Amino acid sequence: MRRFLLVFSGLLMLILLAGCSVTTREVAPDEQVIYDESYHFSDKKAIVDAMVTSLLSKYPLLRATDRPVLIVYGIANRTSEHISTSAMTDDIRQSLLASGRVRFINETQRQNIARETSYQYGGTVAAETRIQKARQVGARYMLTGTLRSIEKNQPRQFRLKKKTLMYYSLNMELTDIQTGLIEWADSTEVIREASKPFIGW
Amino acid sequence: MKFFLPAGFAFLRRSGFHFLCLLVVLVNLTGCAGKLNKAAAQFHAGNPQAALKTLERGDHSGTRNQLLFLLEKGVVLHQLGQYQQSAEQLLQAASLIDSFEAISLSEQAGSLVTNDWLTRYQGEYSERLWVHSYLMMNYLLLGQYDDALVEAKQALKRLQQYPQALKHDYFTRALIALCFANLAEDNDAYLVYRQLADDLPTPKPVAADIVYHAGKLGMQDEVERFKRIMVAGSADDAELVLFIAHGKIPEKQPGNVFLPPSIRFAFPYYAAAEIPGLKLTVSPVSRQALPLLSTDLGSVAQEALEARKLRIIAKETVRAAAKEAIAQSVGNKNDAAAEVIVRVALFLLEEPDTRCWKTLPGRLTLVRIPLAAGRHNLQLQLRSHGWADQQTIDLPEFELRRGQRAFRTLRF
Repeated sequence: MRRFLLVFSGLLMLILLAGCSVTTREVAPDEQVIYDESYHFSDKKAIVDAMVTSLLSKYPLLRATDRPVLIVYGIANRTSEHISTSAMTDDIRQSLLASGRVRFINETQRQNIARETSYQYGGTVAAETRIQKARQVGARYMLTGTLRSIEKNQPRQFRLKKKTLMYYSLNMELTDIQTGLIEWADSTEVIREASKPFIGW
Repeated sequence: MKFFLPAGFAFLRRSGFHFLCLLVVLVNLTGCAGKLNKAAAQFHAGNPQAALKTLERGDHSGTRNQLLFLLEKGVVLHQLGQYQQSAEQLLQAASLIDSFEAISLSEQAGSLVTNDWLTRYQGEYSERLWVHSYLMMNYLLLGQYDDALVEAKQALKRLQQYPQALKHDYFTRALIALCFANLAEDNDAYLVYRQLADDLPTPKPVAADIVYHAGKLGMQDEVERFKRIMVAGSADDAELVLFIAHGKIPEKQPGNVFLPPSIRFAFPYYAAAEIPGLKLTVSPVSRQALPLLSTDLGSVAQEALEARKLRIIAKETVRAAAKEAIAQSVGNKNDAAAEVIVRVALFLLEEPDTRCWKTLPGRLTLVRIPLAAGRHNLQLQLRSHGWADQQTIDLPEFELRRGQRAFRTLRF
């Protein structure tokens, strides 16, 4: 009996140790890995795909033949989480550029462009290789957006798990800078429910 | 398995002795807050750099005080002007607090026969809110207004969780409204200011803000109502916002109630010690601050602890019953001497958990000074009851654009 108990407890210990070991695995960029109700990288991909498809398949970009110039003024984060919305705008810009139907002003590099231009005109760069001043292109459209979230918790009552419902919505707009008119607007949503136990070891 | 013990050492097998050993270990555990106490003393002595060094040496007694180390580091780094690093520490603290939502059975079982020092410190309701207050301040000082708004929403969640206990934290509530107003979220800003107007002794300090946001939302009845009580506003549209911290938050004190034969109820409490408000004069005199909104952190902490009183009493009662059962069981199985040793050990083990966030100030005040766009040189004269002299501060010259809000922090 004693031997059996020893073997049994040894086996139990081995199982526990195996459960505590560190494991790693590669995750494909399009794989959905969701641990809780909060924002995940797979949400970004779904949101970006939906927005790019809508933008390219609707007026004004649908009929544009002159590769209009766009400027991105970022997505405002109005959620209750610290979410990097610049990662979203980077991906949207990249997908739109890859379509070959629009061009973008590099707004984030404006200061560096100005610095490089001043350097070229500072006397050390050969005149024939200098860029020409006042040749930058003005943007026709401005792309902006707002990411919002609503969180709903299950009301307080006797229960072993706490349920949370999370709603994210991204609204984007394309504004004609000349007229000030919103030429395109769309939104996409992610709704997720998660439950967490109240009691743990 | 039996250990061989030489003659004269048989007492080592007694249950009472085992409890005594446990007692020594646990009494030692309660003393492990040494680094936190030392860091707080260094900080309040005006040496935040030394306090940071002490805190960076870390806690070697496990994760029981992990939250306190993060909280104290957050305030010390804020004081040193390292707002990004302070935010990183406080974000970790906020995420740790969220993880405490799940009750740990092993921890609770252990603390039932010992004391709460054995458990991980989870922060009082008020401290859980102030994590977000400091995060809001850090992000506003860094100019990361979207992140400040995220923290404002987190703070609102805490306020909704414990509305009565945190009702009088006017500073944090005004800061939340400011984070909304700063990003033109008029509806949210209006709602927070409107609730503040109901809870403040007089709605005067927030009347001008209600008029502004209600006006933008087209709520004419609210505009008319609050216009009558608002302080005459300034035409300037830029603003200097100061977060002024002064004094020191009172520490938790150990309280005890004794019942025969050896039952001891131990509980923490805050001794009443109000930190008086500030009186501020700005030079040049043409620049006047809006009515100040401030929080006496000691009294909010007291209310938060009071709100937890029922839980403390319930746990203390269960613990007293468990300890009495253990003592009686040892007495039944061994001799009377063993029972006495166990009773003494359990009695001494009953220590109130007086851990708290010690580098917090006694009072936080939100100062808003409307200014015109351009360069400014301001001098502040601060007075408070109990100060020997008034404090004079020359703010370094700063420039404001039209409609801009600039943020600064000061601590005495």
